[in-house]
Parts: sequence; C-alpha cells; structure tokens
Amino acid sequence: MATARVNQELSQPGIAGEAVSLARKPWLLVWGRRLQRWFFLALVYLLLIDIAFAFLMPVIYMASTSLMTVQDFLDPGVYWIPRAVYWDNLTLAFQSMDYLVGLRNSVTIVFFATLGQIISCSLAGYGFARFRFPGRDLLFMFVLFTFIVPPQTIIVPLFILYRELGWIDTFLPFTVPAFFSHGLRGSLLVLIFRQFFKRQPYELEEAAAIDGCSPLRTFGQIMLPLARPALLVVFLFSLVWHWNDYYEPMMYLMKPQNFTVPLRLSILQQGLQELTGGQAGELFNEPLMMAACFLVVLPPLFLYMLTQRFFVESIERTGLVD
Amino acid sequence: MRLNLRTRQAINGYLFILPWLIGFTVFVARPFLHSIRLAFSTVDMIAGFSLNPVGWANFREAFFVDERFVPILVQVIQRNLVDVPIILTFALFTAFLVNQKIRGQAFFRAVFFLPVVIASGLVVERLFQQNVGSLEAVVGLNIPTLVYMYLPARFADVVVDVLTRLTLILWRSGIQILLFIAGLQGISGTLYEAARIDGATDWEIFWKITLPMLSPIIVVNTIYTIVDGFTDIFNPMVNFIRQVAFSGSFRLGYAAALGWIYFVLIFLLIGLVFISSQKWVFYGGDREG
Repeated sequence: MATARVNQELSQPGIAGEAVSLARKPWLLVWGRRLQRWFFLALVYLLLIDIAFAFLMPVIYMASTSLMTVQDFLDPGVYWIPRAVYWDNLTLAFQSMDYLVGLRNSVTIVFFATLGQIISCSLAGYGFARFRFPGRDLLFMFVLFTFIVPPQTIIVPLFILYRELGWIDTFLPFTVPAFFSHGLRGSLLVLIFRQFFKRQPYELEEAAAIDGCSPLRTFGQIMLPLARPALLVVFLFSLVWHWNDYYEPMMYLMKPQNFTVPLRLSILQQGLQELTGGQAGELFNEPLMMAACFLVVLPPLFLYMLTQRFFVESIERTGLVD
Repeated sequence: MRLNLRTRQAINGYLFILPWLIGFTVFVARPFLHSIRLAFSTVDMIAGFSLNPVGWANFREAFFVDERFVPILVQVIQRNLVDVPIILTFALFTAFLVNQKIRGQAFFRAVFFLPVVIASGLVVERLFQQNVGSLEAVVGLNIPTLVYMYLPARFADVVVDVLTRLTLILWRSGIQILLFIAGLQGISGTLYEAARIDGATDWEIFWKITLPMLSPIIVVNTIYTIVDGFTDIFNPMVNFIRQVAFSGSFRLGYAAALGWIYFVLIFLLIGLVFISSQKWVFYGGDREG
C-alpha cells in the first residue's frame, strides 16, 4: 500500500521535486515507509491492548477482589492489589455454596447434555449436508427457525410437558432434549456440523460406498474423525453454554440439593446463613460475592486455558462463515 | 429387497436426521403450537392445566391494561436497535485489528473470546452491579455528567445507558469477532493485489473489497446478535415473562401471549434484516449462496 501511495505522489507535479530527491536517496524512502508501518503497528497494538484490557478488567476485578479483606476492599488506597492475600473468602464461599454438591450436579448435566448434543447434532448435520430426501430444505428451514424462537415463547408449554412427565426437579429436562439435537442452541450446533460436512470432498464416501461400507459406518469411521475441528468447537460451546446456563435450571430445579453451581450463587446468602448459624448479615460482603463468582467461572476458565489454542483455530476451520 | 439409489439415499437421510426430527416435534413444534392455544386461554392450575378460551383478552391486556409490558417492550427494542450496530461495528473493527500481521495474535483472539466462555448470567449480573462494566471504570472519567451537560435529555439517556453498559455490550461480541476474523482470512489476497496495482488506497480497498466480501458474514452476525440480545438474561423482558408465568400468580396463558408477542417481534426484525440483505449482500463467484 505504501508503494501505491508513493507512486501516486510521484505522479503529482507539486511534490515532484521532493520525490526526485527521495528517489535519489532510496534509503530515505525505505525509512519513510518503515516509519509509516511502525506508526501504524503502534496504533494497532495500542488499540488492541486497550480493548483487551476492557475485556479482561471484570475478570481481574473478580479475582483480585476475591482475595481482599473487607478493609482492603473499602480502603480507597488499595487498588487492584490487596495488602495481603486473603484466602478465607474463597473457602467461605466454597462452603456456603456447598460447592461440591453443585459441582456434581453441574458436571452430571454438562456431561450428558454435551455428549447428547455431540452425537445427535453431528448425525443431523451430516444428514442435512450429504443426503437428498424429499422435504430436506423445508426441514432445514425448521432448524433455522428453531434458532430464532426465543425460549420464552415455548417455556410455558415445555414446563407443562415436563411436569406431566414428572421431570421437574430432575436433570432430564436438560439431558433428554440434548440427545435429540435440542437443548441449548442445539440448532446452531446442527448448523455448524452441516456447514463443516458440506465442505468435505465426496471421494472418501464414494470409495467407502463402493467397498460396501454402510452409511452409518462411513459416518462413524471416516467422516466423524475428519470432523475434529467441528467436534471440538461443538464440544466447547455445548459444555460452556450448559455450564453457564441459568435460565432453564432456575425453571426446572426447585430443591437446593439439585442446584447447579451458577444457581448456588443465587442462594449464597442463605447458604452462608445456614453455615454460620445466622451470621450472614455480618459476613456477607462484596469480596465474598466475588469469590463465589470466581468459583463459578473457574472450571470453564481452566478448560478454556487448556484448549483455547485449538479452539480458536478450529472455529475458523469449521467453515461456519461460508 | 432392492431399492434404487435415490430411495436408499432418502431413507438414509431420514435416518440420520431422525433424532433431530423427534426432538423438533416433541420439544419445539408441539410446545410452539401448544403455546398458541395457551395464549388465547387462561389456564386453571388446579383442574390439571385445563384451558378456558378467552379470545384476544390476553393480548388486549398486554397492550392496553398491563402498565409494565409496553415500557419494557419499548426499552428492549430501543436497546437492541442501539446495541446491535455497536456490537457489529466494534466486532468488525477489532477483527480488522487482530487480522493485521502482528505478534500475539493468538493471545488477543483468546482474550476476545473469553467472555463467551465465562459469561454465566448471574456472575455477569453481579459483576456489573458493581459498575465494573461502565466506561467510567475503564477510563476513570465521569462522562455521564458531561453528556447531560451537552446533549438533549432524551438523547443523553440513551448515550448514558450505553456508556454504563459498555463493557457488557462489548462482552457480547466474542463470537462475532471470531467469525469476522475467519471471514477476513477467507478473502483471497489476489483481490487486494489487483486493487493495489490499480492504485486503490487502503480506504477504498476497505469499502470496495473487504466490506462486500464480508457482507454474508455481516448478515449472519446481525441475526446472531439480534437473537442473542433478545434472549440475553439481562433482557428485562425475559425476566418479566418468567415472573408472570411462575412467580405467585402462575398466569401461564398470559405469559404465553407475551411470549408470542415477543416472538412475532423478533421474527419480523430478522425477516427485515434478511429481506434487506438480499439487496446489499454480495455472494462471490462460485459459492452456492
């Protein structure tokens, strides 16, 4: 781009003299171009670091506040870094949230829901991508349609349905729909798989068919292993969305012993009250709240740190954008 | 039994989508139709959810009797009209920055996607109650006062509302940034080369090549942002409908009617985006579209 600009400048008569002198001293030209490039890069870095800071700030705030005593938190002289690291907030939050029970519930829901969505959504995505059958395009329209129906529109009938089935206060409203490509944003996951499979070459399947391989086996042994980027993306999306989900568990879970970790956050104060025998009024404060929040985001955060490299690259390779 | 290839293809196709089809029937289509019936009835909880048809009464109540519904609806629409362009512009801008040849690209991408991973409804709510999300916390300036000094009140309200929710709005752009980056990387370098040889400036290249090539992704992102915004846990409508349905009075019929009004609104908005997109989206060369 710099070349283009210089060429343009050369063709303008007003600065021709300058341009000629530049052309006589090529090192000046190179330096000018480099300077321009550096300036541009500096600006890019500055903006990116700024944006990254705005994105990270709530997380840093959460982590640092959770390690503060109340005195530190209220002291305007203490900014970001606590005077001394104070772990008691985390232990107290851990206990009042009954974290291990919540974790068990959350892990159960997340495990089965994610497993169910991976299996059923990859099957459906492959079906839509690779087979011709009457009504396919109409049915696919229904997939897209499902995505834009807000949960609020169908929450009442679903609630009635689950009540009739006796599923209230069980994990079945989260896990069973997942095995049928629904549950949280199941239609989006079907779409991701469909887009991915559509981009694959047909030759492998044709070869498998000629060798007498059944479609299901072709899918399981050839196409699914190829779909690793899509699988990873769907796995992480499904996992994270189910972990963070709050709306549906709040609807379908009534007893505190069935609560997921994020739901436990909503009854933190009661939990603290029970734990300390009625002292929640004095002990409940912002650092404790932040410690509890931090405990909620910790598992997905940890998982993301481990997988983000593959994940971010994978999302680009799934062809979601085509 | 011997079937011809086409029939076998069709049968296999149906088998693959069968779980989805069952799920769609049981968990979407049937509740969807059921909620139409509910919307035109009142529900008697004691008599085992029996329905008393009441015609349009629920809808009339929503618009003419209930004094909470219409203001919430207006607020939700207004917020989304403001938020969606902000999110899209910001996501495109950020994607453009990350897509430069820079070090630490992976780090920045990971950071921008982080909110998607940890944005658990209640956690975010608690965080932003502490005003961590406002611009003031980021730059340390008391901007709202300035805004009220220089802008008319009606307009200033919107600006301040955006400023206090700024990080929250930006936090909703993780997926969009990633999709835009993928889109930018998908634009063939030869296009840029050709443009430069013809003497196009960077500015012209952005408007005449980058933007048209990205337009299909802009549509996807717009629709995603709208859906995301309307089902967001902070959305006052989401909470309002839940309250109507499940806190105390259990007015299930009325809640279903509200849900339906909400759905029609989203459907119209997305339809509008989709139809208008036919005019400005560029589907390049050999793609199926």
